[in-house]
Amino acid sequence: MENEKIIDLVTKISKNRDERAFSELFDFLAPKINAYYLKNNLSFEQSEELTQEVLSTIWAKSNLFDPERSKFITWAYTIARNKKIDLYRKTKSKKVEDEDIRHFLYENNKINDYEIELSIDKIKQELDENQQKLLKMSFFEQKSHKKIAEELEIPLGTVKSRIRSTLNKMQKFLS
Amino acid sequence: MNTVAQKNELIFNYSSGKLGEAKSMFVSMYLFLNSVAAKKASIFDNILAENLVELDEIAPKKINYKDCIAAGSKDNLEYKINENYTPLSSFIGSIDKLQWKSIYKGFKEFILPLNDNDTIKLIKMDPGTSVPLHSHNGKEYILVIDGSFCDEYGEYKKGDMQINDQNIKHHPSASDSNGCVCLSITENDVVFFGKFASILNLFTFIKSFFK
Repeated sequence: MENEKIIDLVTKISKNRDERAFSELFDFLAPKINAYYLKNNLSFEQSEELTQEVLSTIWAKSNLFDPERSKFITWAYTIARNKKIDLYRKTKSKKVEDEDIRHFLYENNKINDYEIELSIDKIKQELDENQQKLLKMSFFEQKSHKKIAEELEIPLGTVKSRIRSTLNKMQKFLS
Repeated sequence: MNTVAQKNELIFNYSSGKLGEAKSMFVSMYLFLNSVAAKKASIFDNILAENLVELDEIAPKKINYKDCIAAGSKDNLEYKINENYTPLSSFIGSIDKLQWKSIYKGFKEFILPLNDNDTIKLIKMDPGTSVPLHSHNGKEYILVIDGSFCDEYGEYKKGDMQINDQNIKHHPSASDSNGCVCLSITENDVVFFGKFASILNLFTFIKSFFK
């Protein structure tokens, strides 16, 4: 789905509480979030449960999404990631709202997804296909180094050193 | 030792969602106070988020959009962030109202009630207070929240982070004018050197039985 279309849907949701727009957004996003959790080795039940939490958070907090500063897919990713951290949280007694830090940073002009596009493009140009794949496996799918070594059929030490050199390469474009 | 690389790796692990509760809260506070760190996290968040676009989709079977609306409508609709918000305040309230525990003259601490393998605590040092020379068995992460401190490696101000390990021996002292409040994570107990070392190490040893 085009970014403009998504922004249109989210605006309808936050301004008019438009349920039809939300149903369209659900059909677009829920299968992606669900697949993300399954890739992260969560069970079928847990994945669907967390997917529901992510989508209901988007419904509840749609007024906090700022299309001028934030990309929708990045916003959705950080919500999904935080729900996964919550799942493993042992301190249940107090509520910690991890989403709020990103909203605070957007609102106070500390970060803007569109201003850093140049750094991101440079990083993607700099990393070859294998390095991008390693980043994805290790940081997006959260596979252990051992699991990555098995899947790619390369020694564990090679996985570790390749991830390290990939991160080192990225660092040049972070400042 | 390349501490910039260590700091970046901590941020990457945060973006990825790999960190435990204590370190997640620590990094949230770091991003809150340090806009360079926030920008780095944002770059990595955006790179990771792009994977969602290309992912092979798997439609959920048991949930639908109406359930999500019902679950999301329980809270008030106009969601707002408290203007005094900090990642710590949502958990422990205002720092000024904490029940600090005095460790020695001019040095107080407050251990955050998190159930995690890493210990996360706030440290408050009065102006000019110093900590005896020590090193660390595991890693120690220190983030300055207010005031400043300095040691053999330089001066650390609000929003600066320091990572120490067994290779680092240091002798930090709080600034003479404002003192210092820091957030600290220790993976293992510190090891002291010098005159009172044996008694301080013994104290740490005994304390470990009461954890």
